Amino acid sequence: MTTDAWVLGYGTNGFADHTLDDALDVIQGCGYRAVALTLGHPHLDPFADDWRTRTEELAADLRARGLRVVVETGTRYLLDPWHKHRPTLVDRDAEPRMAFLARAIEIAAVLDADCVSLWSGVVPDDDVDDDTAWTLLVERLAALVPIAEERGVTLSIEPEPGMLVETVSDALRLRDEVGAPASVGITVDLGHCVAVEPEGVVGALRQAGKLLRNVQVDDMKPGVHEHLELGTGDLDLVAAIETLREIGYTGVAAVELPRHSHDAPRLAGASIAAWDAAARAAMPARHPWTVEAVASVTADPTRAPRLFAEAGRAVGRDPLSPDDPHGYAGTTDDAARAALVEALHAGGADPSVVRALYEYGDNAERRGVLRGFDALADADLTPAWRETGLDLARDALRTNDPALVASAMGAFTARHLDDHGWRHGVLKLVFMGVPLSIVRGLDERRDAELAAMASRYAEERRAAGRSIPDDIRLIDTVPQE
Amino acid sequence: MRIFDPHIHMTSRTTDDYESMYAAGVRALVEPAFWLGQPRTHVGSFLDYFDALLGWERFRASQFGIRHHSTIALNPKEANDARCREVMGHLPRYLAKDGVVAVGETGYDSMTPEEDDVLRQHLALAIEFALPALVHTPHRDKVTGTRRTLDVVAESGLPFGMVLVDHLNETCVDMVAEAGAWMGFSIYPDTKMDEHRVVAIMQRLGLDRIIVNSAADWGRSDPLKTAKTGYAMLEAGFTEDDVDRVLWRNPVEFYGQSGRLDLTPVPGFEPAQQGPDTFEGNSVLRGMASRREA
Repeated sequence: MTTDAWVLGYGTNGFADHTLDDALDVIQGCGYRAVALTLGHPHLDPFADDWRTRTEELAADLRARGLRVVVETGTRYLLDPWHKHRPTLVDRDAEPRMAFLARAIEIAAVLDADCVSLWSGVVPDDDVDDDTAWTLLVERLAALVPIAEERGVTLSIEPEPGMLVETVSDALRLRDEVGAPASVGITVDLGHCVAVEPEGVVGALRQAGKLLRNVQVDDMKPGVHEHLELGTGDLDLVAAIETLREIGYTGVAAVELPRHSHDAPRLAGASIAAWDAAARAAMPARHPWTVEAVASVTADPTRAPRLFAEAGRAVGRDPLSPDDPHGYAGTTDDAARAALVEALHAGGADPSVVRALYEYGDNAERRGVLRGFDALADADLTPAWRETGLDLARDALRTNDPALVASAMGAFTARHLDDHGWRHGVLKLVFMGVPLSIVRGLDERRDAELAAMASRYAEERRAAGRSIPDDIRLIDTVPQE
Repeated sequence: MRIFDPHIHMTSRTTDDYESMYAAGVRALVEPAFWLGQPRTHVGSFLDYFDALLGWERFRASQFGIRHHSTIALNPKEANDARCREVMGHLPRYLAKDGVVAVGETGYDSMTPEEDDVLRQHLALAIEFALPALVHTPHRDKVTGTRRTLDVVAESGLPFGMVLVDHLNETCVDMVAEAGAWMGFSIYPDTKMDEHRVVAIMQRLGLDRIIVNSAADWGRSDPLKTAKTGYAMLEAGFTEDDVDRVLWRNPVEFYGQSGRLDLTPVPGFEPAQQGPDTFEGNSVLRGMASRREA
């Protein structure tokens, strides 16, 4: 598995020959951590009398399984048994589509889904021209926005080959024309990009940028709208993954193979393997200085202190993500120093060497040591290495430099730090104004005690008439078991 | 007016000072390792002090939009205490670090043989680490001390262009000018130089290799003396460009020889440089007004 910020999922429309329970078992069993739920037959009938009860049961099941969810609305023949996908938002009469999308929003709210993904539709040949269709589309999306906002649900527009909204450019224009509400984002299907996007998958993802709320994963051939198994079309999956990293995508990326239900379990396994291989191949290339420094330290660990001090001058100190101006999620020099720590560990160095790098380091060097332990979070560490990492993380958590505290709340502490220390680390970040999105393992480790601490902190802020950080909501509720 | 204060001891200053300095135009500074007033008695107190200069103080300055650099050395007064001299063995570790832009401040206090020896060691370290050196001149018998400083520098092999001789006044500036070293003037409320005397020296010698600092520390001093010197220059008929040269370009040129100056604006302070108000959907303003709207 990769440790990227997005969550890989699989679409239930690729499991039409399984019951929903069985589909979730297989999806979860393959290692996916999210599901793209297509409303309608055969899995969850949005118009059944007991839809709400069934949705609540599903919500509990997904929580228990630890699966994130996005709601997809592309079921065929759901609204009209004679015409696939009709009516759409660009038909003259779109009542059934509007009722369906309104229900999808309600379901998404119950499921706490990332978004409801929707598309425009193909302009009908008969009585609607493109201009009229566009007007209808804008009006209808505008009508859906308040419904979604009332439920706290995000709508995500998916460009589809052949439809009125065919490219990300079209989707962005549509979003602008309804007033660019924060509740409306963009879905990008990687395969569609091969088929129709003028700037390809990299251009399309960059164009969606921070508005990207949902990603569908499949392969495709240029000009042909047919979802293919990864590796059998022309998609440059490595470039797509690099771009998702570049834009800092943190949502769900779900495999979308709706015509392959007959072979679903094999495809689910093969797709996650193909994705992980591409994700590994897409690891950012190491700076030439880092490559040389790693070789140097591997040959002679005593060179580490001097190289550690030089790293910032050699590789720069820019944040790894352009949206993280403070570099709380890591900087280029952090990455270089982390590589040196990994090399020391791989070379069998005593952890006291790394402890000295920290103790004799300036704050940037200390961050580098902590990031190095993050890189080793899943490694088979000796007790001495583990204790060293914990000692240094605890030391960093006592400091008042937000970047240092932030770098102490990465993958290593998520895995190894005791509950008390970890909770105080999280709350300290809130106190220091560091976004909680940089904390690794937040969803897995947050608990009732942290929620109580967060509530008391919010109460204290309220009593003082001060603002309360938006993202305290990530921890001020008790996670459902 | 953009100001690089090339010599100020922020460890002894308050956050109010940082705020006033930013408001006056200070965007970068150098904090030389210094005597703390209370004599140190063992190496550990030096190391914690150096670590604070490279860690805490740099972070503290950045919170006020100011880039902080330091110079590292054993202070001349402490060169005379054998317990303190042990720190010399630790200096190489610090001289390799980011943000350390010179060896200093070194030089003379009472001109003892121990001070001679330590000054020579510092200049050798400057050569080894390809760093400039900040050498201060003694408070007593300044002319003799300055002459001796220049002689030791000449013997060391460190080019004069890599040396800033600080705390100069009318009596010793000419010999430094002739040697080709950089001329530093500490502008103080009632000792050292004042802004009008330094302006007179600029009128006489020109602006080449002239550097003005506040040297503000734990004593009676003023971290805004750099700005006040800029205003005195304007009153005396110097141009804005002249002021920029003395208060920014000259110190940047001198310390820039280290290759380690970071003069990029601190994120969040210059409107053009401010990042997004949100990071992955979370507010990073935390109750502050967005500068983007300003």
